[in-house]
Amino acid sequence: MPRSWPSMASFEAFLDDGGIVEVDDDMPERYRRAVFSFIEMHANSELMGGLTERDWIPKTPGLRHKMAVLAKTQDEIGHGHLLYMIAADMGIKTREEMLEDLFAGRGRFHNVFHYRAETWGDQVAIAFLVDAAALASQQAVFKNCSYGPYKRILKRIISEEGFHMRLGEDRMMRIAEGTERQRHMFQGALDRWFWPSLQLFGPDSKRDDELLRWHIKSERNEVLRDRWVQKFVPLLLGYGFTIPAPDLHYDKDEGRWDVGPIDWEPLKRTLRQGGPDSARRIGEAADNWQRTAWVRRALADPVSR
Amino acid sequence: MSRPGGADRLRDEIRAAIGTVDDPEYPGLSIVDLGLLESIHIARTEVTIGLIPTFSGCPALALIAGAVREAVGRIDGVADVEVVWLRTPSWSTERLTSHARQVLAGSFSVGVQIRSEDPPCPRCGGATAPLSMFGPSRCRAVHTCSRCREPVEVLRG
Repeated sequence: MPRSWPSMASFEAFLDDGGIVEVDDDMPERYRRAVFSFIEMHANSELMGGLTERDWIPKTPGLRHKMAVLAKTQDEIGHGHLLYMIAADMGIKTREEMLEDLFAGRGRFHNVFHYRAETWGDQVAIAFLVDAAALASQQAVFKNCSYGPYKRILKRIISEEGFHMRLGEDRMMRIAEGTERQRHMFQGALDRWFWPSLQLFGPDSKRDDELLRWHIKSERNEVLRDRWVQKFVPLLLGYGFTIPAPDLHYDKDEGRWDVGPIDWEPLKRTLRQGGPDSARRIGEAADNWQRTAWVRRALADPVSR
Repeated sequence: MSRPGGADRLRDEIRAAIGTVDDPEYPGLSIVDLGLLESIHIARTEVTIGLIPTFSGCPALALIAGAVREAVGRIDGVADVEVVWLRTPSWSTERLTSHARQVLAGSFSVGVQIRSEDPPCPRCGGATAPLSMFGPSRCRAVHTCSRCREPVEVLRG
């Protein structure tokens, strides 16, 4: 039975009581739009991440890693698929409109997919650092998520991303315990990926107040970011790598690592599609969409089975 | 293992140990319930475990084999554990236990297709129809529920 609420206050009281909103409910328009944008960005990020991963299938060293990259590509594209379904169900944009926006450079997706993965070391850094950051954000959303269809899909995504994390840890161990050349390659990747990974959580923003109040997010960006720093900084230092943060220091009184001031300008550029690799990535995704049009047509209208 | 029934008891212990290993993508669902365990051979203190993969390109094989070796290796009286991935029989959804089906539907909203019959929606019991052949894994398709519109991942038979 679709439900409705006479006022925003009664709707928010419902959410505070742990209420879960379903697709047919008559939810406040601002809530609908906020949830929709959030899911659309997540879907775009899964798709762009899957395409990045796909680029690496032929270049991945060794059969074992190659199988993992293949499966991970399928995972990410599949997650995007499920997310576009529930986003389209909210009745704001169709799946085609979301994809058109994305390929025309009007869609938003995570900052990390606006950079180029140059070496296998970059792929290891992404699997180890970026996947951990993405997983932490998703877990924080899942924990308290008030939108039912999203919460249920997040549960599946999180268990699969957890598996990616373990693959990332495995890759990281191998490269950290590898030859000097391998370690050197990873250090180069770390220099490129440390800040974008950390910035994935985003700056502290006013927009978050609403997302927190409506139980879409459960923690502020800076809380999640700090937790990531406290975990990965000592881990990377422990493996003997250096962290590209000149002001990095351990605050003995507070018992925590401090990376110093964060320059948010690179993140803002990616939001305007002005990241180092934005144009090429979006162009390739759009091109890919065109080239595979015949597959979609064939699937939608099979002549014979 | 000189007592009568000792080998049987060891076999039970091994089976129970393998039952503690969960599928890496479905925490809470053991590989025994998923129907991956095919054989246990015991030769004194050496144990060989035959497992079958859900599909041959599965990236989790090394992780699962490692977890099985570790779990079985902890048993008293086992000195050496070998895990072999078998090519036959091939895995199908008929190998899932009813518990596995319950966990998949209840915890992960994943339906199970058996002999090409479309499963009901795990959420509302409505009829589902296929939307695309592949989801986040090659062993899963994506259906939609005609009643509640839930996207349903379906483990293919």
